[in-house]
Amino acid sequence: MATNFASHHCLVVDDFQGMRYLMRDMLRECGAVHVEMASNGKEALQRLLERRYDIVLCDYNLGQGKNGQQLLEEAKLRQLIGPATTWIMITAEKSSDWIMGAVEYQPDSYLLKPITADLLLSRLEKIAVRKQAFADIAQAMSNKQYTRAIALCDERLAYDTVNASELQRLKGSLLLDAGEIDAAQKLYETVLANREIAWARTGLGRICFQQGEYEAARDHFQISREQAPGYLEAYDWLARTQQRLGDAEHAESTLSAALKLSPNSPLRQKSLGELALQRGDLDVADAAFRKSIAVGEHSILKTPEAYLGLAKVCSKSSRSDEALKVLKSVQHQFSDDDVALRAKSAEGMIYTQENQLSKAGAVANELKQMLQERATRPDSTASLEVAELMLATGQRDQAVSLLQDVVRNNHEDNLLIDKVQAVFDSANMKAEGSNLVEACRREAVELMNSGVLLARDGKLPEALAAMRGARDKLPANARVLFNFAFVAVMYLQKLGTDEALIEESRQALREANRVSPGEKRFSQLMDALNKLEQR
Amino acid sequence: MNPSSPQPDLATILASSVHDMKNSLGLMGRLLAKHEAVWTGISAEAQSEYSHLLYEVNRMNANLISLLTLYKFGKGLYPFDPQPCQPAEICEEVAMQHRVLLSASKVVLHIDVPDDLVWHFDADLIAGVLGQALTNAINYTTDTVRIAAGVEHDELWLAVEDNGRGYPPQMLVDSRKAVSGVDFSSGSTGLGLYFAEHVAQLHRNRERIGSLRLENGGPLGGGRFVITLP
Repeated sequence: MATNFASHHCLVVDDFQGMRYLMRDMLRECGAVHVEMASNGKEALQRLLERRYDIVLCDYNLGQGKNGQQLLEEAKLRQLIGPATTWIMITAEKSSDWIMGAVEYQPDSYLLKPITADLLLSRLEKIAVRKQAFADIAQAMSNKQYTRAIALCDERLAYDTVNASELQRLKGSLLLDAGEIDAAQKLYETVLANREIAWARTGLGRICFQQGEYEAARDHFQISREQAPGYLEAYDWLARTQQRLGDAEHAESTLSAALKLSPNSPLRQKSLGELALQRGDLDVADAAFRKSIAVGEHSILKTPEAYLGLAKVCSKSSRSDEALKVLKSVQHQFSDDDVALRAKSAEGMIYTQENQLSKAGAVANELKQMLQERATRPDSTASLEVAELMLATGQRDQAVSLLQDVVRNNHEDNLLIDKVQAVFDSANMKAEGSNLVEACRREAVELMNSGVLLARDGKLPEALAAMRGARDKLPANARVLFNFAFVAVMYLQKLGTDEALIEESRQALREANRVSPGEKRFSQLMDALNKLEQR
Repeated sequence: MNPSSPQPDLATILASSVHDMKNSLGLMGRLLAKHEAVWTGISAEAQSEYSHLLYEVNRMNANLISLLTLYKFGKGLYPFDPQPCQPAEICEEVAMQHRVLLSASKVVLHIDVPDDLVWHFDADLIAGVLGQALTNAINYTTDTVRIAAGVEHDELWLAVEDNGRGYPPQMLVDSRKAVSGVDFSSGSTGLGLYFAEHVAQLHRNRERIGSLRLENGGPLGGGRFVITLP
């Protein structure tokens, strides 16, 4: 049972030298040999970039700059640590900041000061045992092999009673990822038959949400919130559901309640700002966006939307100068092409509102240039915002082509298509816009089916060529991407394995899963590709 | 202070002072424990005073943590989210935290908790409650204390038992029959008990609710502190 830590690489992160040495000595008492130290988040990131660590002991308070939680989030998101790394957070008292964060950003354990070497050793050993138990499942999960991960959970559930609850939680979320809704629902109901458990209740709520049963979803999330007020995921879902039910007021108070428990979440603060802005509650929106920006200063989870939202609030409150300043700063903070497009569009809209038409026109031309220079297509939100400005400045063709592209790539996303229509409406192009949308939808459906019909007739090479063409035209359309992979699998099964095509199909599937997660076809087609490879 | 500045909230001042006191007591406890070896060669009386010193520091530290937690409960700021836990692990850690106090007090601790037991509860709160009960038991026992756990009637029970003289009759409690009616004016035991009862009742499973009992007897024949969690 005892783990040998002699070969482990350990990192101690603490801003106090005395504490660093104390931790290092404790790790040595536990049998560790390779112990390195960092005194702040920046230094720690440097170390984490240089090598893969097995154990990280990190104090929550790191003085100026990132705190321990922000460091962990960045390390996870940038994949500087993997599921095999043990991360222990050290803190003076139980705080809601990380306990209440999303599961994927939680440390493996936290230790309340004062810490002793025997306590540390005992924790390290327990975590090592747990990591071992979950190692193959974690591996399958990071390869997005949902079917395999689910099978591994089942295998383990048959004998591992100690980890049963965690295994069921994992299995539930894997079933949702794999689009196995019925199985997930059954699992959650079985768990809830024994005891009220927040993740299972929230899981049921998510299923109802996905099926558009918003009232039932709301009830589930509310039960979860009452039973486990510290399980914040339920609050986020509840707010989303209340919004779908048109109850923006309660959605706002739900988010406020969650933020009382975890004020340092840049994403949740941003969501509150967006809700308040939508309700026209400019004071609340202003404060929430500012708070999101402030708490996100050192966080990898900071969002451009907080800045863009704040700019909108400023411009609505007739503080255009401030709005323009915020738009400058968002481009400075995020070197991202889509963010630049959105900031520029917002800038142009401010000029049109102020009747500074030549300035607005100049911005529109600048945007045109930016669109020509970039290699990839802009995301839907950026496209919509750019199109809005183009219409306002009379660049009709440019706007129409952007909006057509959005519809073609998302022809089944009704919420998004409503937004496209709204942009046409506000430019007095209601009927014309509606015709354009309809035509694009038809076009997308035709492209989507093009290869599938040929494949059914047995014309596999022609089918593959047709789907490839469709994919190149609609590179972000999940239906098209799935159908491309589907036809490719048929082709491979009939005409023999081709590694390049397998990889091409995997890439299409990964993109489809990114655009539209939780679809059954993703794991089915991935499994089929894995089987083909093993032949 | 500027008369127009907002009135500071007394509860917040108290909480932040308690926090500060807790840190300094924590440091004291660590220093005391660190010099454990020095105290072994001294007279029996001094040894007993040393163990008493450790006991008081432990007790105060636990009290301050209870106060801070109660403050968070009151403000709706405690992140209560029960998780599947292994009582055996929690008990082992509680024992580690009491290692020095146990050896200075020459008290033997038995842990009698099944390894494969898993139950849903808030590990930090339960560890806090058990720690306080253990500190208390070490002080009042003759020479042995025991932590035990099991499942009965679909409830987890955790007990801290000693072989001392037991609780005086007026302290015996069963929160299912009557609230303990903790009387803070009567002295030292109020806060720990109040906290434990609060923590027990925070743990619910649908309509069922946790409970607290102080009784005498049990395998060791002394006081017996029992918390049950549905």
